[in-house]
Amino acid sequence: MAKPFQFFTEQGIVYYSGYKADNLKALLTGLRGVPSSSIFYHLYHSLLRRHFTTTDYMNDFAQWVWGVLWQKTLGEKLASFDPLEFTRLRDARARLIEIVDAYVGETEYFLRVSEEQAFYFLCMKSFVYPLGVQASSLPELMQALRVVSPQSIFYHLIESRLRLREPSNDLSDWLKTQLDMPDLAATINTFSPYEYNLEELRNKIIAVVQDAIK
Amino acid sequence: MPSSNNKHHLEDYAPIVTSGVIREIEELARLLGPVRIVHVNSTKEGGGVAEILGWFIPIIEELGMKVDWEVITGEKDFFTITKKFHNALHGQPEEFTEEMFAAYLDNVGKNAPKIPEDADFVVIHDPQPAAMIGEYPDRKNRWAWRCHIDLSEADLRVWGFLRPFVERYDGAVFHLPQYTKNLMAPQFIVPPAIDPLAPKNEKLSEEEVSSTLHKLGVANDKRIILQVARFDRLKGPFGAIEAFRLVRRWYDCCLILAGGSATDDPESQAVLAEVQDMAGDDPDIHILNLPPDSHREINALQRAATVVVQNSRREGFGLTVTEAMWKAKPVVGTDIGGIRHQIIHGVSGFLTHSVEGLAYRIRQLFGNPGMAKRFGQQAREYVRNNLLVPHHIRRWLLVFHSLRQSGNGDLITLPPHEITE
Repeated sequence: MAKPFQFFTEQGIVYYSGYKADNLKALLTGLRGVPSSSIFYHLYHSLLRRHFTTTDYMNDFAQWVWGVLWQKTLGEKLASFDPLEFTRLRDARARLIEIVDAYVGETEYFLRVSEEQAFYFLCMKSFVYPLGVQASSLPELMQALRVVSPQSIFYHLIESRLRLREPSNDLSDWLKTQLDMPDLAATINTFSPYEYNLEELRNKIIAVVQDAIK
Repeated sequence: MPSSNNKHHLEDYAPIVTSGVIREIEELARLLGPVRIVHVNSTKEGGGVAEILGWFIPIIEELGMKVDWEVITGEKDFFTITKKFHNALHGQPEEFTEEMFAAYLDNVGKNAPKIPEDADFVVIHDPQPAAMIGEYPDRKNRWAWRCHIDLSEADLRVWGFLRPFVERYDGAVFHLPQYTKNLMAPQFIVPPAIDPLAPKNEKLSEEEVSSTLHKLGVANDKRIILQVARFDRLKGPFGAIEAFRLVRRWYDCCLILAGGSATDDPESQAVLAEVQDMAGDDPDIHILNLPPDSHREINALQRAATVVVQNSRREGFGLTVTEAMWKAKPVVGTDIGGIRHQIIHGVSGFLTHSVEGLAYRIRQLFGNPGMAKRFGQQAREYVRNNLLVPHHIRRWLLVFHSLRQSGNGDLITLPPHEITE
């Protein structure tokens, strides 16, 4: 008997970290000093907030560097940063620092923007809780996927990499270990949130689960 | 903030934000338990705070919590002083004496409502009752200060006076990160929301939109540029007219400036007269001075608009921007304040820095209907995901959870519960 897959969600409230940046050097200082939840919020959670803009999506750092500081080269580098490559926040933070640090090292003049245009590093206090929805089989999974929120999809498909510290997601893990469906697990793991928004992602998963039932 | 007194149930929003989101909110409330919350502000009628609490409290009660709404009372002098506080915190120059600060504290000591001992959370709104916390040195409950004011340019004398009180709270809640101060307590960000079911935002038939335009004397036969804002220099109505005149060289279009002018505000009457003067007898500029309850009219205008603009020089969280975005309209707004947080430049609208920039972006949208449509759809999605009543309720429930769990880190697993299905 398979252990049921329990759907969780993560809800977060944002608070000010006390760090703000009005130029690139200050951004670097902030990247080095802020709590991990701030890196999570600006790098990962921004995808949830703007998940419908898959083709135009930029994380918060890239958005600010590009749109406010007008540093297009660095903006491009940050925009192409793929957080899903990382399974630890500290590695993602280190890579971000590396990119910004290298650019700062090559830059002679630093544009300083007004307080109003500054980048405010925000943290997120997250609460994880079960939704009371579970699945023990593929038909039940399909049913459950239809009712859970986009946040729950985000939690299981994207954020789980950080939790599991593996380049996978916990739904795929469950399909592989509990239902012995490694191919379906692998297919779901290839779905990228940069290609599909969360609603599309949900529909894609439902479609492949439906195919597997047939 | 929702502009209607109509009371809706949380479940009514399910078709808009999905039942999954409603379910999450209900769970979050269940995990918080049947707590007692006391809100304190300075009035039950009129003003934005009273309006918010008017729709917020019934939904929170429906979620199983007990809510008390108290107001701080006082003589006229007290409210004269707190009005000066309000203006000074907004950055306007005001004169203060030591007697005023003493009179403020005296009134708070005498007239502050009593907070029941079994209250779990106390939410104090704005500066009027802020010092109340000083009356409860041995409090066991959690207190939050909800600041509806932009403190970024706050007068240091007033802020210096209030700050020691604010520091005693367990948390402060602001609309935008830019409004925060350096405080020891956590400063949560809860942006204002709009009510998609209110008359100002609910769906209208094409017939109603057309008939409303006809009633307002606007011919619906050309592209419409719309700005909804009270007649105030800070809202940039003159720049909007200049931009319209630049756009009209390229496209046949009209401009609607819709807003109100308070009869007790001589400045707004003067601005309205100047705007009318600048518009002259141009048949393509419509200056609509509407009564405050013209919600359906504003709704119809926003739905009829081709492009909505917000040419403000200073703006907090411009709710008219959110309203237009909810109606799937591309918005061109000044790159300031809350507008910068609402519009994603090049994705759901454009942020501009000049009259010329405003005109250029309007032209760009007129010339690219496909882009305008895509921007509008993305704007609506952004609002649907972030800025509606259910999101506001959810954020407040999270504030209460955070106040209860303060000091427990940034990732908290709430107790698991029995699987119900």
